[in-house]
Amino acid sequence: MSIPRFRTSINDYLEGLPEPVLIRLYYSPATCLAIFRLLPAMAQLFIMTMLFNDKPLAATDLNGWVQDGSSTKQYEALEKLRGMHLIKESQGTLSLQKTFRAGLRNALTGGDHNDSFGIPCNTEDKHRVDIKFLDEHANNQWELILHFMVGTDTGKVPNNGVLSLLRHSGLMEGSTPSNMRITNAGFQFLLQDVNAQIWTLLLQYLNMSEDLQMDAVEVLHFLFMLGSLELGQDYSLVALSPTQKIMLDDLRDYGVVYQRKSSSRRFYPTRLATTLTSDTGALLTAAASMDSAISQKELETGFVILETNFKVYAYTDSPLQIAVLNLFVQLKSRFVNMVAGQISRESVRKALSNGITADQIIAYLTVHAHPQMRKSIPLLPPTVVDQIRLWQLEMERMKIVEGYLYSDFSSKNEYDIIAGYAHDLGVMAWEKSNKRMFFVTKEGNQQIVDFVRRKVHGGA
Amino acid sequence: MPRAVKGVLVECDPSIKALIISLDSKNHNIVLADLDDEHLVIEERMVEYVKRELDSQLAENTFKPAELDDIRRK
Repeated sequence: MSIPRFRTSINDYLEGLPEPVLIRLYYSPATCLAIFRLLPAMAQLFIMTMLFNDKPLAATDLNGWVQDGSSTKQYEALEKLRGMHLIKESQGTLSLQKTFRAGLRNALTGGDHNDSFGIPCNTEDKHRVDIKFLDEHANNQWELILHFMVGTDTGKVPNNGVLSLLRHSGLMEGSTPSNMRITNAGFQFLLQDVNAQIWTLLLQYLNMSEDLQMDAVEVLHFLFMLGSLELGQDYSLVALSPTQKIMLDDLRDYGVVYQRKSSSRRFYPTRLATTLTSDTGALLTAAASMDSAISQKELETGFVILETNFKVYAYTDSPLQIAVLNLFVQLKSRFVNMVAGQISRESVRKALSNGITADQIIAYLTVHAHPQMRKSIPLLPPTVVDQIRLWQLEMERMKIVEGYLYSDFSSKNEYDIIAGYAHDLGVMAWEKSNKRMFFVTKEGNQQIVDFVRRKVHGGA
Repeated sequence: MPRAVKGVLVECDPSIKALIISLDSKNHNIVLADLDDEHLVIEERMVEYVKRELDSQLAENTFKPAELDDIRRK
């Protein structure tokens, strides 16, 4: 579920860009391919039908591709395409944006010689690293950041660049590395899966880069290029622009790429980079058929067993995962390869008051469920899931609205006029016409006061 | 001219409303108006106090398995 949510964020960002910027983006075939992958299936179908067809397509021809009853999907797909300026419409015909069409054709047929997919190094690397090393490196760098957020004492603190990113994104607050504290948004961030977390940080980086005078288009080009690189292959820095070289330094800190030292002329993408825009390797699902598409690393991340008596057994010794579990589980005992605890009312309420929602807790438990749990359907015991939701409802027994109570109207007519006005403004929170009282919100009160004064002065 | 009183509208179910009214019966400084079965207007400054008292009263009536273990150990 996180990838669709993530797609909406990067999509929102892309849709927010003005048309000339988007057209500059489409010059790079790798970007076109990455954007194509981010689109919903029906939009992809439409693009493919128009891709190699030089003449414009009549809008009604598209109806032939759509099943009866899926017209909302068709409408949504077209809206998305319009939002990203991918199609041009004139007199009932549609055609693909020229630059995008050329870029995507290039990406698919490998036509023009271009650097947007990254230039692999053709010289031998004296200090060659293998995939296992890259995975470990990525894991360590990423966990360093997460540990810092959770506050476990590892003694190592991430670089200033990372710290300022955490501050800007609202995940942590504080001025010096020693007094930085995690925020509610930070807690929610911790419970997301890795891919969603990376995209959150990268989108923040994108926002920050505009302030730092870095060209957003080049930043995006580089990000989408990373998504198409091959794991285990080293790439040369020759194709990168100065902006992108600066990015490379920052991305090293997040563990997205590996560079032996900053003067190296080559870099290796890690798994965090290569899974940026792909479907697989991102989320675990309970369906057995997905297991084959999931890489070995992801299978190992399922380690939590949740029983119907609310007891939790987590087969992990990673301090980070134990710290995250501690957010909502009351951990009772710790062994060499496992921690055990219980989900209790206290522990869930503590999490809820820190800003974590019941849905996030349930999503976390689902994503990190031990392979043994997949034998039962549904995955998590319904008793526990329902009870976590009930505990959240318990916290919300009172609904509070600040505002003003109006009473003592001299006549029914007066009441009707003022209540009607409040109703039309949409600021009425509660009313009882037979008692001639109503309650308006704090924000709307000023307008009601002005209206009443005008009426009184107008002598109505 | 109608009268406007500044306060906080509370929307809740009847049992919670009864709890708030009983809290109010001691000092009469919480509830400003009793509107109907599910709505009350209370004093703005007392909102946090009401929430805390509500929490503690509801918590009193819940069973905590952890306490049971501690009691057994003693």
